[in-house]
Amino acid sequence: MNKYKALFLLFVFISLACTAEPLPYNFYDTACVPINLSITEEISTKNPIIEGETVKFRVVKDVRWQGKTILKAGDIVNAKIETVITSGMNGFPAEIIVDDFQIPNIEESQLISTYNKKGQNRCFWVYPLKWSLTLIPFAGSLTNFIKGGHAKIRPKDIVTIYYYPNWQAYKMPAMNIENEAE
Amino acid sequence: MKKIFYLFFLFLIACSVHAGLAENNAIQQRIDNVGTRILNFNRIPKRIIFTYDEDSKADWLSKYKALKSRQVIVYGEQYQFVQTDDEIAAMLSREIATVIKSYSGMWGGTIDAIQVALSSKKFETVADKRAVDYMVNAGYNPLALIVYINKTCPQKRQDVIARHNLTSKRLARIYEYITYKYPEYLKDNEYINNQYYQNFLLNSVENRRKLEEKIKTHSAEEVDYE
Repeated sequence: MNKYKALFLLFVFISLACTAEPLPYNFYDTACVPINLSITEEISTKNPIIEGETVKFRVVKDVRWQGKTILKAGDIVNAKIETVITSGMNGFPAEIIVDDFQIPNIEESQLISTYNKKGQNRCFWVYPLKWSLTLIPFAGSLTNFIKGGHAKIRPKDIVTIYYYPNWQAYKMPAMNIENEAE
Repeated sequence: MKKIFYLFFLFLIACSVHAGLAENNAIQQRIDNVGTRILNFNRIPKRIIFTYDEDSKADWLSKYKALKSRQVIVYGEQYQFVQTDDEIAAMLSREIATVIKSYSGMWGGTIDAIQVALSSKKFETVADKRAVDYMVNAGYNPLALIVYINKTCPQKRQDVIARHNLTSKRLARIYEYITYKYPEYLKDNEYINNQYYQNFLLNSVENRRKLEEKIKTHSAEEVDYE
């Protein structure tokens, strides 16, 4: 009898071990609600910006889903400046990447929200100029001093992020996950 | 007797080939698991594939493949340095950041891809920073990026006339980025007993002192790291 018990327990143990852990996300549903926002105060790479800084956005018009108002026009939504790319040589434009939008009652996992704004890209004329100047020794290198435009997010810019109401809401993974390799 | 010997010899070759394939398959699976986890947890709605290439060597064209075919290639010589999944995530996140760039902008991302290829120094820093974000969102410890770069990237004499930043500068910028954006990883530091991380702390004393000064003075200026 003990042998059967042991076999049964072994079977249960193996079945539990073999059961795949369900994923916290499911991207099956395609229903999507665009949310239009505008920044409350202009930000520009001309002024020093700290990555990770919180910026405020205002909801441009009411956001509704299945007859229910999710956000009202004028509501304030916080977001974070993720990365700032300063302008570079040869017309390389500056760029601001904003993400981590905090919307009440909506998990971040239900949003596709990365927004990036670039400055003026001057490489279109800087590179042809550089190549034409290479006929004169060292002159082509002078274009290195031409920098790209600064990136600005103005209150009149409409920032659209997408809310997927039927996607599973979950908290982002915990900080300390176990390493399988260890 | 000869026939038996030949048969045994063939059997040994078949076994070694099979073992090699199984090992490659296991590595590919590990890379796919980590890479796909990063893509899904960051909700990156673009196609990116991960390929393990044991024999080829990374060269300047490898970035071209990432930008043109949206394919992250992990070379055997890179893979030999990684130990934990956090470190694989570090390696892949950097490449994902590069590939993502090739999806944005005019002409299907062609212009941006060319700019990334030409301004490699500038974009190196961006890719490092984005990699930190991707890792955090996917539940990996971003300090692994410091460990990975500290182990793998050599330290050149200067970076004024170079296609890449000095590794010490890259590490200092990543450390600064984590300090400002994800300080919890430094407070509750899992890597404090990691000898590679300690080695980074040792070789970055001067740069970290500069960062401490920046924090103390609430400056928003870019620090001139060594």
